Amino acid sequence: MTDFLELTVSIGEAGCIYGLVALSYLLVLRPTGIINFASGEWAALGAFVAVTLISQEKLPWIIGLPLAALAVGAVGWMTERLTVRPLVDRGAPVLSPILALLGMLIFYREMYSWMWGVDNLFVPMPFGFGRVEIGPFAGTSQSFFIMAVTVTVFVLTWFFFEKTIWGKAFEAVALNRMAAALMGINLKLVAGLAFAGGAVIAAFAGILQAPITTVHFLMGLPLAIKGFTALVIGGVGRVEGALLGGLTLALAEKLTIRYAPIPSGFALGIPFLLLILFLMIRPGGILRAKGAD
Amino acid sequence: MRGFTIWGVFIGSLMALAFGLEGYAADLFRKLLLTATLCVGFNFLFGIAGQIAFSHIAFYGIGAYGVVILGFQLDFPLPLAILGAVLTCGVIALVVAIPSTRLEGFFLALATLAFAQLFSVVLLQGGEITGGPQGLSGYPTPDLFGIKLEGRAYTVVISIVFLSTLAILLLIDRSWFGRACRAVRDNSATAAAMGVNVFRIKVAAFTLTSTLAGVAGVTYAFVDNYLSPIVFGLEPMFLLLFMIIIGGTGRHVGAIIGAILLFLAPEVLEEWVGRHYLLFFGILVVGTILFQPNGLIGMWETLWKRWNRRAIPR
Repeated sequence: MTDFLELTVSIGEAGCIYGLVALSYLLVLRPTGIINFASGEWAALGAFVAVTLISQEKLPWIIGLPLAALAVGAVGWMTERLTVRPLVDRGAPVLSPILALLGMLIFYREMYSWMWGVDNLFVPMPFGFGRVEIGPFAGTSQSFFIMAVTVTVFVLTWFFFEKTIWGKAFEAVALNRMAAALMGINLKLVAGLAFAGGAVIAAFAGILQAPITTVHFLMGLPLAIKGFTALVIGGVGRVEGALLGGLTLALAEKLTIRYAPIPSGFALGIPFLLLILFLMIRPGGILRAKGAD
Repeated sequence: MRGFTIWGVFIGSLMALAFGLEGYAADLFRKLLLTATLCVGFNFLFGIAGQIAFSHIAFYGIGAYGVVILGFQLDFPLPLAILGAVLTCGVIALVVAIPSTRLEGFFLALATLAFAQLFSVVLLQGGEITGGPQGLSGYPTPDLFGIKLEGRAYTVVISIVFLSTLAILLLIDRSWFGRACRAVRDNSATAAAMGVNVFRIKVAAFTLTSTLAGVAGVTYAFVDNYLSPIVFGLEPMFLLLFMIIIGGTGRHVGAIIGAILLFLAPEVLEEWVGRHYLLFFGILVVGTILFQPNGLIGMWETLWKRWNRRAIPR
């Protein structure tokens, strides 16, 4: 039983990271219709900036975390400005920005390996290596820190979409671009903000994960694939779906590694199997989008 | 007549290179030919049929691993092993295509990406059958009518595989099937209204090109007599996509130009920038999509037209 409770904590931890990446996709996908595979690289960039700020410059986490996230947000905004907006302005098919972002993925990755080298880098844990017990659940301090930050990010994003006029604008653009533009919503501003916001959230995932795993220039793509799987599982329509998808994916992964009688290497295939299954059987995800029936 | 001349020069120079090159250059030439074979196939699938599938390299791998496993672990005679590997590719392609071609646009890319990654997991975890991360090696070179298929003789075989793949795709492209593929790519609803069976066309295009990738894979198995899972991963798939985009999406010549350029570029760039040459590829792809969506071949044609207009004043 204690074994299972500890597993629950590690599922929560991994699920939150996947959920954050999924949310990053969602934020870009909803108003623009673009599946941004570079979001995994944004997560990696967050981790690399955290290495510079927290490990090398010795800034405390409370300053380093928002600074790194903001820096990545600026990169996200620039990416939209330089590679996506010209294509949207020209009226290119929606596949063009997606492929351009795929090119950016390689560009980012090689930039990281050039700037930070190819060795594994480390970020210290904000609360040390201590073991924390909350009720029956026990895990590292970092696990609980990840969950707390993720829940905060999700609550804020949910609040943004549900309660602010800006969130309504995002939703309006997602539902009908033309009508939204006619209502006076600035489509370009919404797209720019979506990319910046998506980059900030992806950066959170990368920074939070950095102390548990190591920071390496190839870390982005696996995160991108898992985050996307989480998004498809949870449904591409709703904020809470991203977290639900992340947790479901982590649950399936960890339970297979722990209990299924197959070599643990095969558990690497779980996200891909789930992705295929959901795309085939329930492409709308677990939660249906609002307004869709 | 002009067509015959171009083909004559093309085939002639291929054969001259096949017989003239030696050592490292010959090895490079063999792999370039296989890359170009994959490129023209993937260009048909992505550029002409409009399906962005990330499974092309996986089928290349299924062909390569298939022939080695059938031929040297299950001890089939070589012709049967080759036939078996190609058939396996075709059957798996059909099984993948039937459910996944229903998916639109980039969702097809993700489903096929998941399939390709599953294939990678199987290669890595396959134990003695696939050799795991070390891959397969130490199997003998085959022979045909008493000639050992290595060196120059094998370069000729690869050239023939490349030329037949290209010929098949060109013939199909010019038939009703090619036109149907383009119609489905441009607007599947209109195509359906014109009486094209969209589903069948999509499945057929996917299965055909994936099987051709499998044939290239069977050929690759005896280039180095060594198979490594890295060769069949996600990275080469990205490169293949980049080759098509840079060369000119939907154009056979573009695919070949893209393959030559990106395949040979590392040879030059590695001396300057080490392994960061991928950085240039990233910039080149983004630049192509932004400024020259028709790729290098499109750029060439624009320049050519402008030149001709200047040369013949009206």
